[in-house]
Amino acid sequence: MARPGILRNWFLIRRDLPQSRALTLTALSFLLPIGVWCAVSYVPWLWHPDVKIELSAEREGVTTVFTAGDHVSPEFFPEFVAAVRAENEAVLKARATASPASGARRKNQRILRQLAPVAVANGWLAHDDTQNDAVIYQLLGDLASGRKTSTNPQLTAENLDIIRSNRAVLAAASNEFVFSKLPDEPLLKLVPQGRPANPVYLPAPHEVLRAGYRDFTADVPDGSPTMGQRYQNSLRIIFFGFLWACAVGIPVGILCGVFDFFSRLIEPFVDFFRYMPAPTFSTLLVAVLLAGEAPKIALVFIGTVFQMVLVISKTTRLLDPSLLEAAQTLGAKPRQILTSVVIPGILPNLYNDLRILLGWAWTWLVIAELIGVKSGLTEFIETQGRFRNFDRVFPIIILIGVTGFVTDQFLSWLHGLMFPWAGKSGRLSRGIFSVLTLPFRLVAEGARERIAANEAAFPSRPRRTP
Amino acid sequence: MKFLPTILAAALTLASPLAAAPLKIAYSDWPGWVAWEIGIQKGWFKEAGVDVEFQWFDYVPSMDAFVAGKVDAVCMTNGDALVTGATGKPSVGILINDFSNGNDMIVAAPGIASIKELKGKKVGLEEGFVTHLLLLTGLEKNGMKAEDVTLVNTPTNETPQVLASKAVDAISAWQPNSGQALKALPGSKPVFTSADAPGIIYDLLYVSAESLEKNRAEWAKVVKVWYRIAEYIRDEENIDDALKILSGRVKISPEEYEPFLKGTYILTLDEALKRWEKGEGLGNVYGSSKVVNDFNLKAGVYKKLQDVDKYLDPSFTKALATKE
Repeated sequence: MARPGILRNWFLIRRDLPQSRALTLTALSFLLPIGVWCAVSYVPWLWHPDVKIELSAEREGVTTVFTAGDHVSPEFFPEFVAAVRAENEAVLKARATASPASGARRKNQRILRQLAPVAVANGWLAHDDTQNDAVIYQLLGDLASGRKTSTNPQLTAENLDIIRSNRAVLAAASNEFVFSKLPDEPLLKLVPQGRPANPVYLPAPHEVLRAGYRDFTADVPDGSPTMGQRYQNSLRIIFFGFLWACAVGIPVGILCGVFDFFSRLIEPFVDFFRYMPAPTFSTLLVAVLLAGEAPKIALVFIGTVFQMVLVISKTTRLLDPSLLEAAQTLGAKPRQILTSVVIPGILPNLYNDLRILLGWAWTWLVIAELIGVKSGLTEFIETQGRFRNFDRVFPIIILIGVTGFVTDQFLSWLHGLMFPWAGKSGRLSRGIFSVLTLPFRLVAEGARERIAANEAAFPSRPRRTP
Repeated sequence: MKFLPTILAAALTLASPLAAAPLKIAYSDWPGWVAWEIGIQKGWFKEAGVDVEFQWFDYVPSMDAFVAGKVDAVCMTNGDALVTGATGKPSVGILINDFSNGNDMIVAAPGIASIKELKGKKVGLEEGFVTHLLLLTGLEKNGMKAEDVTLVNTPTNETPQVLASKAVDAISAWQPNSGQALKALPGSKPVFTSADAPGIIYDLLYVSAESLEKNRAEWAKVVKVWYRIAEYIRDEENIDDALKILSGRVKISPEEYEPFLKGTYILTLDEALKRWEKGEGLGNVYGSSKVVNDFNLKAGVYKKLQDVDKYLDPSFTKALATKE
């Protein structure tokens, strides 16, 4: 039985696929990992080994406070719930024997705020307004009377009972939130609720998107940088580190590639030096250049420049020797060979080298930003990672990835634009190139015509012969 | 070369001791020092007419920065001031922020219920510094020796991950790191805390001798601002605002931060005066420093007993108290 056409001709040895198929595969190469991520996150029976707390409670005498969004193991969660229930029972028993504890105003305020994450999840409260006691106080009443029902998460019958009981105590004192009118005896705590979740290091896509959106739009306290400023800061370090590396690496590399003298003088040491990992110089750099951006830029520089010298000298050596011979035969001087043959000859390859080396420079960024005073995107990754807020770490990692990818794609496309003769240009970039160079070509055309006209006008001008 | 002039200018500024340079203070994530943030954010230093520049570090790098002369003052524990003085650069403590009242902890993995059970186990901590002192104190109180445990040198802010990875059986750290460790490995618990030996760790502002000599009046203003902060934080009315500032600095939620206030006893001016009175025992900073001094010598952290009196200068606190 013949296979239908769509299934045929996918696996062809050393032949390019048609453009539509190539595009489909490119799209798939991104969609597949995202698909796996979504599947693991949203299909309930896949994995989900943790419990994610949706409604939390504090425990007496324990300094570890779990907040909504924290992950705990399924073994620990029942312990946690049992501890809170036991505390509630103690409160009820004390009330029944008419000897309730006192001095619990602040505690009761916190018990009220247990509802804040529920209010945020249901959209009744902004995520950065969780201390709005007045709204929470009203919400307690609405939940008790059934005017509002929480769908995300659904409150258990047990918790609704507690809400009604607390409401009854509170309503006796005041209809709206006044700190001094909070009861002095403790209220009942809501019992923790949770749902199955993946480990904290694999947040779901929508959580990552939400956290990223919040971090990029958040107001930051005075003096600390916004995410945009952090991003700029990181880009600046890469840019200047790479710029300095180019300023030194390109000329030295070309000289080494052209003259054996420089090659013997410089390359052995460079070869030795590049095996010393750049981060080992970090404390030295901080001591010499002090805190601030200078040691970071220097680290990117050190990490990149030695590779650059070697790579560029190799590229230079690979230049077609017949070009050099031809130039020498025509009587070119060494400096002319360098400027008119070698440099134009290696430019397309040099450009590609730089593209790869720029990627190399990016790998030093993370280490560079950790030395001295931590800064930029890495500082954010570091602090949030330490507190296991990986939903806030992923957007930054992805941002760095996208930045690198887009830059590289753009530079690659620019390659076609700038070096159309190097053969890798597409129709679009050739088009843009011809538009950009049109004025020059017109001028050149005009000049040529004028010369031709001149020659036609004075055909008898004698030609000197050697 | 647009940069060259800028670099030269920067080099010149660094080289010349300008009178107008701000007081540079290195601080780190201990709750008693994070409290400086209240004064910074509310602009109280400017109001007091003193130009300060607070620089945020991890704890041990903050002391390195002080030794390297990059800052004029650093927030340290009384024990670590002696260590830094013996091995790097001496300093003078002019202000007691607080004493540790439970926020320094030895956190043990699930299954380990007491410090005695740590025998033969691995403990992750920053060797030679306050967390080390806490462990040794705990061991001694339980009739054990330093050799009974194996140390794994771990930066304090990495301890939560290290404990969670089960590479060690216990860690020694202060809040918020110890709390993060307890969260990172549910079921782990504190087996020894500074509340079991209150006064073993005092937290102070230590200033370099040369800056103190040159800028006495300025440092007095800093001390004054601190007591404004201490009063603010001790007032229950302000607790939500204070928590927001403190927890924001170390990027955790205010709810999680609230229990830390109990574990770091921030001293009011009157309370601090009592802690400055010379005497034996852990009830004052002199006695505590002496205990730690002997301890460090015995543990081999340094080779020569330090002169504790040279590290402490109560005059700023006393002057402020007589004025008020």
